Amino acid sequence: MSHSLGQFYPVESPLHALDPRAKILATALLVLGLFLVDSVPGLVVVAAALATLVAVGRVPLRTFLRLLRPVAFLAALTALFQVLFSREGAVLVEWGVLQVHEGGLWLGFLLAVRILLLVSAAGLLTATTAPVALADGIEDLLSPLKKVQFPAHEVAMMMTIALRFIPTLQEEGRKIMRAQTARGADFDDGGLLRRGRAMIPVLVPLTVGAFRRADELAEAMESRGYRGGEGRTRYRELRFGFRDALALVLVALVLVAGVLV
Amino acid sequence: MRLELRDVWHVYAPGNGFELPALRGVSLTVEDGEVLGVVGGTGSGKSTLVQHMNLLLAPTSGAVFVDGVDAGTLRKSELRRRVGLVFQFPEQGLFAPTVEEDVSYAPRQLGLAGDEVRGRVRGALESLDAAHLARRAPYTLSGGEKRRVAIAGVLAMSPEVLVLDEPTAGLDPVSRERLLELVTGLRSAGTSVVLVSHDLDEVAEVADRVCVLEEGRVRSIGDPAEVFYADPEVAPATVRVVAALGNICPGLGRPVRFGTTLQALRGLLEARG
Repeated sequence: MSHSLGQFYPVESPLHALDPRAKILATALLVLGLFLVDSVPGLVVVAAALATLVAVGRVPLRTFLRLLRPVAFLAALTALFQVLFSREGAVLVEWGVLQVHEGGLWLGFLLAVRILLLVSAAGLLTATTAPVALADGIEDLLSPLKKVQFPAHEVAMMMTIALRFIPTLQEEGRKIMRAQTARGADFDDGGLLRRGRAMIPVLVPLTVGAFRRADELAEAMESRGYRGGEGRTRYRELRFGFRDALALVLVALVLVAGVLV
Repeated sequence: MRLELRDVWHVYAPGNGFELPALRGVSLTVEDGEVLGVVGGTGSGKSTLVQHMNLLLAPTSGAVFVDGVDAGTLRKSELRRRVGLVFQFPEQGLFAPTVEEDVSYAPRQLGLAGDEVRGRVRGALESLDAAHLARRAPYTLSGGEKRRVAIAGVLAMSPEVLVLDEPTAGLDPVSRERLLELVTGLRSAGTSVVLVSHDLDEVAEVADRVCVLEEGRVRSIGDPAEVFYADPEVAPATVRVVAALGNICPGLGRPVRFGTTLQALRGLLEARG
């Protein structure tokens, strides 16, 4: 089993035990607050806090870092754009039309680190919160909007199902790739176009399978009495306790520290 | 062709919290032109095992040999042509607009010429009783038809060993019968077959040898009568009946197939009047 972005890591830890609403709010706070942090010591404070949380959440650091790999590319690309196209501050390097400015270098670094921290925070949330708990939390937080006819439960349910099926589809994709490999498919050789074409025998069955699965899931849910959010009770009642409040306050304090230092 | 697995271990997700040794030192051979049945409970390692036969999965330790040559040294495409692997529910991999295009996928990947490809497609579809489906769209076929077409898609590579992972799962009795006929037909044509199945009766029906997997190890392997009578827990119903009656009616022998078991019982009853 491989662990991928957005997947729950089922162990017991103080973070797993927190109320999902506290974790969602804390993550949202952190994500928003990150945009106010604009100094190296500030970023170090937030990164250190996140690293501590990963340890507290008992998610192996190696597993967690692997989850950042696909995002690292995005972060690097963003940084590169900033470095090449920002014209702030003194010129550091000049090479034909390309100019690297001091401000661009700093901005690129800042953005890349922010993206990585942001994804880490979101990844930590999904790694330590079971999908059902996550959905319950989102639903609860959105429920004030029910007054204006916003389908809070349905939105939360759709999000959970989507999250829940990412690993399933990944696994199915791998399976189909292996089956087509057994029929002589080659996904590693050739140029971009050829590799793209080689994916057709994988993408067609994968898409068909996803639709079939969606149909089956809908029918299975209906036949078990699912009829949307109205009048539904919960197996696990959420309880926002002292520890949850404490966690939120701690995250807020970390952010304040990050902004001030 | 002779296929040999020597002390094959396979560990999924080594080194993280979900480490799972699926195979723990499996050694077995698939002899030239035989049908080897592989049985075992869910999670016993059957599907992991078969994916080592064409090295879709590489052993964590141990090795696979093809006619005495380390399979790791062969070209992958060559190995996959010689050892055809049909996954569980292979119909889920159908992707082309028509059956014949889908079946032609593997021969085209092998770089064969047009005539040869058409010949292979026709041959494969014919041996699965599916020639009349050639121009149909796969999604319009019944479950059994889809399954046969998908198997034809691997058979079109003319493999020397055909590995079938639960080929009859979810099929009706007639489709199931047809697939077993295919297995015996392939054997008569000199192709070795590895048949993975939960259905002990069908393994008893066609296998020359049986391998019982348990928790990633070979619990027993050999002649079906030897294996099944030594271990009636993992034997088909017919064997369990004969084993249970053995005390009160000796002379039944050790029949394994449904037909021969029935014959033995009938013979016994007639002899007693």
